[in-house]
Order: sequence, then structure tokens, then C-alpha cells
Amino acid sequence: MTAEAPPVWNSADGTHIDVRGLPPPEPMVAVIALIERPETGDIIIVHLEREPVFLFPELDERGWSYEPIPGDPGEFRLRLTRGA
Amino acid sequence: MTVAATFLGGAKSRLLPASIPLRFFAAAALFQCLAWLMLLLGADELQGFQGGLGRPLAAVHLLTLGVLVMTAIGAAFQLLPVATVQPLRRLWPARAVFWLAVPAIVALTYGMSEGEPGALAAGAAGIALAMLVFAAAIADNLRRARSLPLVAAHGWAALAVVSAVLLLGVLLAVNSWANLLPDQASAALAHFILAAYGFMGLLALGFSYVLVPMFAMSPAPPRLPGWIGFWLALAGFAFGTAGALLAVDLLLAAAAVLGLGAAGCHLASMAWVWKRRLRKRMGLSFVLVRVAWLVLPAGLLLGLALALGLPVPGGAALFGFLVLVGWLLTFLMGILQRILPFLASMHAGGSGGRPARVSELTPGLPLKLHAGCHFAAMAVIPAGIVAGNAALLRLGAVAGLASALAFCWFVLVVMLRLRAPRTR
Repeated sequence: MTAEAPPVWNSADGTHIDVRGLPPPEPMVAVIALIERPETGDIIIVHLEREPVFLFPELDERGWSYEPIPGDPGEFRLRLTRGA
Repeated sequence: MTVAATFLGGAKSRLLPASIPLRFFAAAALFQCLAWLMLLLGADELQGFQGGLGRPLAAVHLLTLGVLVMTAIGAAFQLLPVATVQPLRRLWPARAVFWLAVPAIVALTYGMSEGEPGALAAGAAGIALAMLVFAAAIADNLRRARSLPLVAAHGWAALAVVSAVLLLGVLLAVNSWANLLPDQASAALAHFILAAYGFMGLLALGFSYVLVPMFAMSPAPPRLPGWIGFWLALAGFAFGTAGALLAVDLLLAAAAVLGLGAAGCHLASMAWVWKRRLRKRMGLSFVLVRVAWLVLPAGLLLGLALALGLPVPGGAALFGFLVLVGWLLTFLMGILQRILPFLASMHAGGSGGRPARVSELTPGLPLKLHAGCHFAAMAVIPAGIVAGNAALLRLGAVAGLASALAFCWFVLVVMLRLRAPRTR
């Protein structure tokens, strides 16, 4: 079986997606699927286990910028911004 | 150092230095030129080729060791740590493998082409050593794998198979002057089955479960068909090797049927991925990959026909061409033309410059030329084999050489763009 859809929620600082626990390449696919949804806003906060090395070229290709922000212990948290 | 700089440094530290995978890929591109050139020079000998020293054998090994294995090693060193979520402990084995393998491949294929036992033996020993270093480095990574058990299983099986491939290869090399083996043709067939389907096939199928969903932007496929296919493939290798060594056609036919089952499971998984992909425009690279997917069962069907004793003109040479060029080379060239710009984009930029986009690093014209000439070779050479026509074989080899030169052009452009400074 493939993994279930990761949790997505909205808060004041943007749309959050938690892809922890998913095997490669599911985190990357889930993030790209989210940013390609028309209703998705301009800021996404991604909760990961590690740096998504192979996600960065895809974000560059789609004109999204990315920067790390503080997260929980053991978490790698990334803020994506559209067109920045 | 800023948080962002630390982050980018950390992200890039998970990648190998670009020079490591790129040296394998560049060598593969150059060896592909040599393989087609050797086939062109040996076209007259290819008709009725049944193994043994000569230019066709040298061309086969320039293709298998020089192109397929070098590509697989470069991809394994770069991608396996990402798939297993475990970095390589040391970089020197990767560099050592390269510097052992390249001169060894040159020596081995020179020895095969010119019938020089010394060069043949030195080359075989060098390749065996390089593959053992590679196997040890990859085994260390697989042992620590925390993710993707199906990919890891394919990796372990490929490493197990490689020892048998090396043993048979060294025995065949020694046998070229010492006549140790009672039946050289049987050992050569077992060597071919294990090397092409066993080692290269397992790596190609295993990495597909990560790379194809990644490039297609699709969820990972259901695991069960992949596992069934994996065990069918292992059973196929066992039957095929036994059938070749014991010269029992029924076992070879059973191996082909098991292989068809394994291929069916794999292709069902790939079709599942394809149907759910987010990226609709997959580009020329996946035209090559999809053609390779079609040729995989076609080669096994031809193998089954040969095992059942059906008359196929040029059957053995046609089977070898379908497996090595039609399936493996076509597949790897398709994947490589996606991997190279992708890796380059992760290493490009920096120094305050903006990141390089994959599309900016992918020159279109060389890839169109490569695909056109590659497909021309795929059409003309089988026709030449079936018709027993050396002129067609030469024409096909020229088309193949043109495709290889176009691919070298592509690799060169990617490398130059990787080094080019970027500004916002």
C-alpha cells in the first residue's frame, strides 16, 4: 500500500503540510501537489524529517523560494514563498 | 554564518561532490562512442557471432561495462544514499572505483578486440577489483538503510549476483588462452544472463521504484506487485543460470517465463505511476524510457522462442541487441538525461547567484539528435542481423555513433552550464 495523504492545515502564517514519515519520493510529490492546487496561498510551511534535497530543483523550476525556519526537535521546517 | 547559509550548506552536504557522479556519467558517454565505433569496425564479424574474442565482443563490453555499469555506479553512489537516507561514509571508494574501472575497461576491451591475453587478464582483474570496492561501499550503505526496503532488496540482490558475474567473467577471460572451461558457450550465456538481467536489470528495476515516481511526480506504487516481481526475477536468474550452465533448454524457457512475470509486475507498477503522475509533459527522456519498457518483454519473448528451439535468423545476436541496447541502453539514456540536469541544478548557482533551473541546464537539440539516431540504430541493426547484411549493420552502427556523439554534446553542455556563473 502507498502512504496516506499527509495532513494539510491553514494557520495565520500560511498553509502547513506535514510530510514526516513518508518514504522518498512521497514528501516531494505531496509538496508539489499542494503548490499546484489553485486554492493554495502564497506561503507554505513544510514539516519534514530532513532537508528535501531533490525538492529544491522542482521549487526553483516553479518559481518558489525556500528558507528554513525554526521547528520542533528532530524536525526540519521549511517556508516556501511563491514567486519570491 | 546565516541560518540560510547553514541550511544550504547542510542540504548540499547530503550530495556527493558533483565531480563524483559526473565523472562516471561523462565516462559512460565517451565509452558509448567507443562501443558504436567498435561495432562499426566489427560489423563483418557480427554476422553469425556466437561469442569468442573479436570486435563484437569488445563492442559488447564497451557497452556493458563502459556505458551501463559506469552509469549504474554513478547513479548508485549519488542516489542510493538519498533513497536509504544514509550518507556514504567515505568518498575515496567512489574515486577508487572510477580510476580502477576506466583503464581496466580499456585494457579488457583492447584485449578482446586484438586477442591479447595479457591485456585481457589485466583488464578483467582491474574490473573485478573495482566492482568489489563498489560492492563493499554500497553494501555498507544498504546495511544501514532505514527506508525503501524494496529498493534495498534489489540492491542486495544485485550485489549478490555481481560476485557470480565476476567469477564467470574472470573464468571466461582466463579460458580464452587456457581452455579451462568444458563449455565456453554455456558459461558465456550464464555470464550474460546474470550480468544483463541480474546485475544491471536489478539495479534498473530497483532504482525505477524511486526515480520514476520522482521524475513523474507520482505517489510510490503499491508494494505487492514490486515484491512479487522481485522474487519472480530472482527465480528467473536461478533457472536461467542453471539452464545455461547445464545446457537444459527447458530451464531456460522456464527462466524466460519467470522473467516475463517479473517484467509484467514491474511494468504494472510503472503503469500505475504513469497514470497518477502530476507532471503531464514528461519530455523526450520518457519517450526513451517507455520504448525501453516495451523492449523488456520483447527481449524475454525472443529468449523464450530461442529456448524453445524456434528458428529465428540471427537469434542470439538479436537477443543480445534487444536486451543490451533496446532495453538497458535506451532506459539508462532516458534516465540519465533527466538525472544530469537535475543533479547539475542542485550543484549550480551558489556564491550568491540564483539557482539554476533544470530546464535551463537541459539543451534540447543534442537530445533530439540523440533520440533520432538512437531509434534509427535500434531499427536498422536488428534488420541487418536478421537479413545477415553487413552494410545495414554498418549503417546502424553509424547511426548509433551519431547518437553517442550527440549525447556527449549534451553532457558537455550540461557541464559547461553547471560551471557558468549566474546572476539575478
